[in-house]
Amino acid sequence: MSALIKIMSKTTLAFVLAVFLGSTIARAAEKEISTFPAYVDSDLCARLMLGPITSKRVACSQQTHKEGSQPVLVRLSNDMVLDVNKQKMIEKFVGQLVEVSGELKVKDGELKLQTVKPIEAGSIPAGDPSRKLLDVRTYRAPGSPKMYEKIRHELAMMPYISEFDFISFAMVGDNVILSGWTVRLTNRSDAENIVKNIEGVNAVVNNIEALPLGSFDMRIRALARAALQTNLSRYFWGSGSDIKIIVKNGDVILLGAVTNSGDKDIANVRINQLPGVFHVFNLLRVAGSEQKG
Amino acid sequence: MSNRRFQNRCWWFAPLLLIWSAGCSRQTPTQTSQLSPKPDTEQPVVLKKMPAGQEFSGLLKDYSKLKPNPNLGNNALTFASTDEQKNLHKYIAMIVDPVQVYLASDADESKLPDKARGIGARYFHKALTDAVSSAFPMVDQAGPLVLRLRSAIIGIDVGREIPSAEKTSSPDDALERAVNIGKVGVEMELVDSESGQQIAAMVDRENLGAGAEIGAVHFGRQEKYAAAREAFNGWSHRVRDFLDSAHELSGDDAKKADSSYRPYSDETAQPITAPSK
Repeated sequence: MSALIKIMSKTTLAFVLAVFLGSTIARAAEKEISTFPAYVDSDLCARLMLGPITSKRVACSQQTHKEGSQPVLVRLSNDMVLDVNKQKMIEKFVGQLVEVSGELKVKDGELKLQTVKPIEAGSIPAGDPSRKLLDVRTYRAPGSPKMYEKIRHELAMMPYISEFDFISFAMVGDNVILSGWTVRLTNRSDAENIVKNIEGVNAVVNNIEALPLGSFDMRIRALARAALQTNLSRYFWGSGSDIKIIVKNGDVILLGAVTNSGDKDIANVRINQLPGVFHVFNLLRVAGSEQKG
Repeated sequence: MSNRRFQNRCWWFAPLLLIWSAGCSRQTPTQTSQLSPKPDTEQPVVLKKMPAGQEFSGLLKDYSKLKPNPNLGNNALTFASTDEQKNLHKYIAMIVDPVQVYLASDADESKLPDKARGIGARYFHKALTDAVSSAFPMVDQAGPLVLRLRSAIIGIDVGREIPSAEKTSSPDDALERAVNIGKVGVEMELVDSESGQQIAAMVDRENLGAGAEIGAVHFGRQEKYAAAREAFNGWSHRVRDFLDSAHELSGDDAKKADSSYRPYSDETAQPITAPSK
């Protein structure tokens, strides 16, 4: 009997050790820590101002963060936008470069932050891929205008894009960065697949964020559309509109184009009057004035 | 420490370690859908009977606007609202109600085993949810911008007695009689989840279930009932095809969508106010 107990205890111990080792190895693999330089941006500018870190972008980051847009990281090497679990650790660095380390979840666009320290642009060696976002010339690398138009057209024709979705993109040579917000999770993957299959596209970074469909935001969406349709009906047509209404946790981002600045102001006033809206980011473009800025 | 004491400690320490390691190796769930579809309900299904001599079951709020849809063959009638404020484009999420079951008007209800009543309905509910959720993400509350999908399988009949040799070994799974779906069709409508206004509807008489039967509770797992599964999946895909075609941008709208879409970039996005110095 005691021999049997002995054998069983040894077997159990071996089994437990194997499970323990296995889980520890799996955990280590899951929690691989990455360290990389990043730009601390506001969520809004990170998803709209795709391109190099210019003084205009820094101003956008700081201003929109001050107005309530949450801080995010933009990985310098590939322009990937990353949400972080501890926003407090990065919010004081908005508009600056930092070196971060943490557990990176590329698929979800998330970084579980461990450390953050500010860095100077000069500390990134020349030729390092992370310098790409710091060099305006990289973004002037000639991408094919034909390819640009093809991507633009294909994204415009996606069937399940509503007034509550906005997908933007930028080309860096033959690489494409997708960005924006969507209320349908499948639009995120569909947009990536569409762009990937366009001839000449090399790689796609997908920064499109899927928005939650909570009842609070849903009510704001419905009220915002109704308010704008009442006052600016000419921008709404059959199945779509020239004005895009992005609602995220009570914040509203207005995108698209209107024909005059008066309409832009009306949109701003009407949305600000809606119950439950925390902040309005009015990024409506006034047609014809795009090149002036 | 003596050998015996060590063995005693091992016995209680082992399960603790197992629990701990299992907890640690659990992966953080990733978001695969904004709100998960409601799980298949096990609520009892209320059987209704197709009124004798009637073309439709009475499920839909309105049958008068239905028209033959050539895109779906000769056996489907559809309607999609063209009201500027209330059409499919104006909604972004959906609730799928439990599927209702209408027996064929000459079916003998008493011969249909209790546990056979909701089998097809539950399978179809899941198939429908899978088919439409990528177009209209599922939510669990009615509200603005949310559609409600009401549907029914029409014409379920009592099938043949199942010989003992054919029955599955599990008594919970076995049925005394099969459910015949040979003459089944589907009716569905999408209504505004708040006002109940009909936004789209479809009556599908495509005979996908010809020769198919359900002979076990868990027919989804058994090869011999593949034809029934294919029928339900087929009807679900036809609902999705209808939604896709109704959602397609029309000529003018396509032109407007194309011409109005301009991506934002560093050159065009403007800070909200003048940058602070």
